[in-house]
Amino acid sequence: MRLIARSMLALLLVLAGAAVAVAQDKPQEIAVTIQNNRFTPEEIKVKAGKPFVLVVTNKDAKPEEFESKELRIEKVIPAGKTASIRVRALKPGTYPFFGEFNPKTAQGRIVAE
Amino acid sequence: MGATFVVVLREGFEAALLLGIVYAYLAQLGHSESRRWVTLGGALALVASVAMGVAVSFLSGPLADFGPDVIAVGVIFVAVVLLTWHGWWMGRHARELRGEVQRRIDEAHATQRLWMVGLIAFTGVFREGAETVLFLWGLMTQLEDVTGWTALAGGAAGLAGAGILGWLVFQGGRRLSIRRFFTATSVLLLFLAAGLFSAGVGRLQGLGVLPGGDALWDTSWLLDDHGPLGGFLAGLIGYRARPSALEVAAYGLYIVGAGLLFFPGLIQRRARGVARPVETSRV
Repeated sequence: MRLIARSMLALLLVLAGAAVAVAQDKPQEIAVTIQNNRFTPEEIKVKAGKPFVLVVTNKDAKPEEFESKELRIEKVIPAGKTASIRVRALKPGTYPFFGEFNPKTAQGRIVAE
Repeated sequence: MGATFVVVLREGFEAALLLGIVYAYLAQLGHSESRRWVTLGGALALVASVAMGVAVSFLSGPLADFGPDVIAVGVIFVAVVLLTWHGWWMGRHARELRGEVQRRIDEAHATQRLWMVGLIAFTGVFREGAETVLFLWGLMTQLEDVTGWTALAGGAAGLAGAGILGWLVFQGGRRLSIRRFFTATSVLLLFLAAGLFSAGVGRLQGLGVLPGGDALWDTSWLLDDHGPLGGFLAGLIGYRARPSALEVAAYGLYIVGAGLLFFPGLIQRRARGVARPVETSRV
């Protein structure tokens, strides 16, 4: 019982440390807009090998979830809100993303080159 | 309507599955009166989900950006720890649960573990709770026209669908013999927890905390994890069409390590002939 409590505490400390580390450096920011259940731009070009931040603004009147299986990102963005999403350094290639709440129309991709 | 149905069903499915198992588990142990702990855990998770939804909607800045991510990853790993412990406990006690003896699991034992069953319910509901709350809330702000109402009806139907699934698991679970129930849920929880563990590792890769993240292989041509079946398997056993090396390793290590904890009989059979003292059960 104590072991579990301790391991949970250790885990939380590691996560908190990671969050602080992640919040410190300043990578490139790329703006993305969600409007009428679509992303603009739908294709985002980035440099391979460098982490970056997507600044996603949801201009629709309902929430959207920015999701990418390839990038392992799931982020709900409430109506009218902006959220920053950190993306790891990518190898050259195409990485699709979509809006989980409107997967038919909200689709885009990140092209790392 | 169809789309919102699928979204809510998928978000609610895992929570419903866990709640169904946990309620059936209490029924199997003859502690149905303790259901209130599970209900309390689930209800608190619902409150926490709404609170998180409100926080995400009204706060901004770095804390609002990364806070939910950190919480999401934390909840995943806490759920893995709890499920592992639960599976380990069931494995240790499966042998005691034969025929008449099954009702004799002592009270103290069960009462000690109640907070944990409640916690499992909490993590199960909270994991996808905030998202679902935000999604349904969004639907409710769209009620000016007919499509808004059908979307909301779809969401409600999805919630009901998840509830029915959980209820079926509960009904099926408590009708099984207790041995079969323990074996079935141990297997199910093993894969579920392995999927969660690997998903947690993947999220840490996505956040850049752990290195790597490129796909080791791609089976999306065979079974896409965006589709209905792939999505279902993703929630149930952690199927990924394009897993990273670390995710695969985490999944494999968890299955082996936790498998030995969940099914101690596997080691015992190998060490046949060695007399084992009767374990005193203390948690």
